[in-house]
Amino acid sequence: MAILVFILKNRTITKNIIISYILLHIVFTAYCWINLNSTELVYFTFDSAGVLMLAVLSLLLIPTVYHGFVYTKTDKTRNFNIYHTALIALVTSMTGAYLANGMTVLWIFVEATTLSVAALVYHDRTEKALEATWKYVFICSVGIAIAYIGILLLSFIYGRGDAPILSFSSFLNLASIANPLYLKIAFVFVVVGFSTKMGLFPMHTVTTDAHSVAPPPISALISTTLMNVGFLAIFRVYTLFSSTVILPFMNNVLILSGILSLLVAAGYMLKAKHMKRMLAYSSLENMGLVAIALGIGGIGYYAAFLLIILHSLTKASLFFHMGQFFRVLHTFRLDDCGKYMKLHPAGGLIMLTGLFGILAIPPSGLFISELMIFKGLVFNNQWFLLIVTALLLCCIIYALSTRVMHIVFSDPRDIELQEPGIIKPAETISQFVLLGLVFFMCFYQPPFLVEMINRSIVALP
Amino acid sequence: MVNYLIVLFAVTLIYISVAERFRIYAGLMGLQGFLLFGITLLELQEVNTTNLVIIASETVFFKGLVVPFLLFRIIKKTGVYKVHKLAMPGFYLLILTIIALILSLVLSKALVNPYINTEYMTIALFCLFTGMLLIVTHKYILSQVIGFLVIENAVFILSLAVGNKNPMLINIGILLDIFVGVLILGMFALRLKPHTLELTRLKD
Repeated sequence: MAILVFILKNRTITKNIIISYILLHIVFTAYCWINLNSTELVYFTFDSAGVLMLAVLSLLLIPTVYHGFVYTKTDKTRNFNIYHTALIALVTSMTGAYLANGMTVLWIFVEATTLSVAALVYHDRTEKALEATWKYVFICSVGIAIAYIGILLLSFIYGRGDAPILSFSSFLNLASIANPLYLKIAFVFVVVGFSTKMGLFPMHTVTTDAHSVAPPPISALISTTLMNVGFLAIFRVYTLFSSTVILPFMNNVLILSGILSLLVAAGYMLKAKHMKRMLAYSSLENMGLVAIALGIGGIGYYAAFLLIILHSLTKASLFFHMGQFFRVLHTFRLDDCGKYMKLHPAGGLIMLTGLFGILAIPPSGLFISELMIFKGLVFNNQWFLLIVTALLLCCIIYALSTRVMHIVFSDPRDIELQEPGIIKPAETISQFVLLGLVFFMCFYQPPFLVEMINRSIVALP
Repeated sequence: MVNYLIVLFAVTLIYISVAERFRIYAGLMGLQGFLLFGITLLELQEVNTTNLVIIASETVFFKGLVVPFLLFRIIKKTGVYKVHKLAMPGFYLLILTIIALILSLVLSKALVNPYINTEYMTIALFCLFTGMLLIVTHKYILSQVIGFLVIENAVFILSLAVGNKNPMLINIGILLDIFVGVLILGMFALRLKPHTLELTRLKD
């Protein structure tokens, strides 16, 4: 389909192909859900964690394509087609990464996501876009190379020639008899490498610049479903080694990475001057919380999955909205923004509800997951960690809420506002629906979701 | 013979870490490509001929010829010959490189495994640390690309160590060359002016 879109120089055909692709993706997700735990084409297994992330991707794909159509409306046909070719490639790569049942296959798909994201970030063809794309490819390349070294170290504990894909199932028995030092080093390499995708410290810088220039629907994918790819990669290796003696070491690595992510996010959010960068740092904060949740174990495992799913819905809605935000205010610079509620009331409402959603203020569903994390910290008597986490979250809440309130209600600081663009009310529907789902889940989590999360974490101690 | 090539490779790494001219970097990257070609031919005895030809030709053509050629072209077009003045002085880098070498020796000793030669592990880890040092301590993006190329060579050496049993791992590792291509072409697209080599437009 991607090749067809690239070859055929016709917008209508491209649109039809993209819509068919969405439908196909949804049908495929349903097929995976029905045939849970079955293996297809040797390299792919429809396990609960992968299918759950795939369902989130399918759900977000519809608004992503819709907002993509709006964003690329005035583009030349060539750019329009390149955008949609890269989008299909990105979604297909993410789908492959979710369902891959081996380390090497997973790595190949992660590598493919980098190339397709690069094409999408460079969509506007500006010097800034080029710089952001170059930085993105460079940091991702280094991260992916480091992750591959981790995978090669794992291949040494495998040490046989009959399983070149290094399937996850084949590791289960070998991990327990391997040299723990190998496992520790491999885990550190994998975490550092795949944190380029998850957006965790120390490779968190990878997406911040990309967000500044990427089309908003693409920012939505980079900040949600692509981060889920990184999370899933780290989660799979964590699950493999969770029955070995290195479990406490892995927990410490994740907690350290999580706390440092929160620290960096809080520091940058207090001085951020760009709305999309602000949201990028908010993603870093949430991924930090996910890492802490995994690291504390027990109730934290469930909280990590719930948080990552709800974060995907909330952050995607905010990034989808950034397209309209720019058309109204003509800038992302915080000092130049203001009076948003007056200029675009529906948008102002999305900013406010999105603020509540992303900061986990009740009735946001994220509140439940963060409450679980704090419960886990209390159960584990990790009081120091709890205090540090709470303090950093306070800084983040202060930074984000003051800036969003300024945008929504105050006058811009430096300049007069330009004539606002016209936004169709229908454009805000997807954001309201996604945020509605997030708030709904504060009161009720559907049994199928609870069951899928529980199945995903069943192998963990 | 393989051991001599590996030792020579280690020497090139030490030289890279203290070099201050981009031309030396480009030349050393080419030399590393040819050394890796030699190691590939000598090490991969059990791999079938087709696979060996693919891996060896990719190594000599891409790593040994194309990459150095493109690097020389970038240097000529930009007119930037020396590493940035804010890069760490060579003496300190040399000390850090020696520490990295000692750390690699200690680590590879601790990671003794029947499936891998200690020499490969040592040189791969040393290569990785050197690449990281180049990325962290240098400011120009060309130095950082060299750092990535060195890390990529670390991946290649490590995959060679299991290449006889799992040649698929070498083939997959070669995919990293796609990124090398993209990064180098990206540098051409950046219009190759000296000021663009710092990439500081995007800030908070």
